[in-house]
Amino acid sequence: MSARNHEQWNAQPKLQSGEWVDSKIYSDEEIFEEELEKIWKQMWIPVCHESELKNAYDFRTMTIAREPVIVVRGKDMKVRAFLNVCPHRGNMIERRPSGSFAKSTPSGTPKTMTCMFHAWQFDMKGKCVNITRKEEGYQDRLCESDVGLRELKSEVYFGGFIWVSLNDNINQTVEEFAAGALDSLAPSVNEEPLEVFHYHKAIIDCNYKLWHDTNCEFYHDYLHYHNRITGFNDEYFARKNTGFKGGHVNVGSFEVQYENYEGFHSREELSFPHLPANQWYMIDMFPGVNFNLRGSALRSDIMTPLGPNKVMIEFRGLGLASDSPKDRKIRIDHHNSIWGPFGRNLCEDLIAVTGQGAAMQSGSESRQILHGRHENETIHDENGMRHYYEEWGRWVGRSPSHPDQPFVEPAETA
Amino acid sequence: MSWKDVCAADEVAENSLKPFNVDGISFLVANVGDGFRAYPPVCPHMEEYLEDSGLCAKGVLTCDRHLWQWDMKTGEPKGPAEKPLLMYPVKEEEGRVMVNLEKELEYDFDDEDD
Repeated sequence: MSARNHEQWNAQPKLQSGEWVDSKIYSDEEIFEEELEKIWKQMWIPVCHESELKNAYDFRTMTIAREPVIVVRGKDMKVRAFLNVCPHRGNMIERRPSGSFAKSTPSGTPKTMTCMFHAWQFDMKGKCVNITRKEEGYQDRLCESDVGLRELKSEVYFGGFIWVSLNDNINQTVEEFAAGALDSLAPSVNEEPLEVFHYHKAIIDCNYKLWHDTNCEFYHDYLHYHNRITGFNDEYFARKNTGFKGGHVNVGSFEVQYENYEGFHSREELSFPHLPANQWYMIDMFPGVNFNLRGSALRSDIMTPLGPNKVMIEFRGLGLASDSPKDRKIRIDHHNSIWGPFGRNLCEDLIAVTGQGAAMQSGSESRQILHGRHENETIHDENGMRHYYEEWGRWVGRSPSHPDQPFVEPAETA
Repeated sequence: MSWKDVCAADEVAENSLKPFNVDGISFLVANVGDGFRAYPPVCPHMEEYLEDSGLCAKGVLTCDRHLWQWDMKTGEPKGPAEKPLLMYPVKEEEGRVMVNLEKELEYDFDDEDD
């Protein structure tokens, strides 16, 4: 048989359960809404890095599952997260992506968050400190202590990343949530303070999980022109994808031969602490975060799902806060030449997944997406994705391959 | 005594405020028509810099944030204001405005660390 008709195209693949998913999980509106409720509003999500809020009264805003969130550094230098919503009439309080509350704003006074609508004000601990014309309007029926902001659970963990959860009852720390997946890089990122030196974002038409998928396998080496022309060695293919509890995956390290890459040089001189020369680790965290350390530069991809077929990916590059200006310049060059907006690989990855997005728009017919490669759990294996979708099914309660059927725990394999 | 020569009397227009910093102390000089006054630089309500938010009209200073008001001559609160303005001693000598800055005057703001 060569080309297939519609019926043949839709027939179940000759693969085992768990080795393919239904494309509906990338395109269906209802499933997307369930994911926001059952996954994104329940988990720890890293939202930014503490070096983006260096000084007291600095802030950064973002959304988690459409909910506006603000992270601020208090006078006591502690980072806190709040729902960025005014308790009065539900307006978003702070609209800027980042800035400082140290000085006054057009609507408010120094050291406070001010809702521009009716000038209600809050301090860096979320306490309401001003209700305009309080006695006139509320007499003694409502006062500041009744209308504080909603504080969200937050933690600074893994080299200074700020993690937030919308779930007040989350019963685990970030460390417990990571379940060991971050351990291989912990010594390198926790030795001394890190600093964000690069930020850009891509808002692209594809499901967030398609970006995560492409971070979970290296089989798409064939996409990258430079990967092909420089060739692969045995050590490269021997790297393992290791699954951790909670759907996380760690892609094992190997020594990159930078001299094979025209115009590239060894990263040895500026290696992160405790990292063997020119090593490269990659960690994919459930549900949509990626940490990628290549010798001298750490990259993070933080995803914000915007719709079934739309995702914002924020790319950060980090170095050591202690870098000299000269070292920082080299580090930025190392980072941007691969991962910058015009770097060697990143733009190609983005192009690839938008092709998937174009073929999996809302309403497009269900089709099978194959995750069935078995290659000894190495980087061209698709076990990382299989591990992810097992966890996905558990949280959403749907089978990834038959999303209209409930998730069933796979049988224990001895 | 710490009398400091701050400015010429004609540097601050009638019914207006002007900020100064002498020996590390920031303050505002107000021309109230028949003399001068000197206040700390911020509103006693929520630390807003009155240099930006203060409006002077008919001898009344208004902070445009939450509309606290004071009599510019006495510093006494008017309208919704709950605290008076603190004032430095001021005298005018030979066309110069002199302010006594012996002790920096500061308002007591609610500490957020409670």
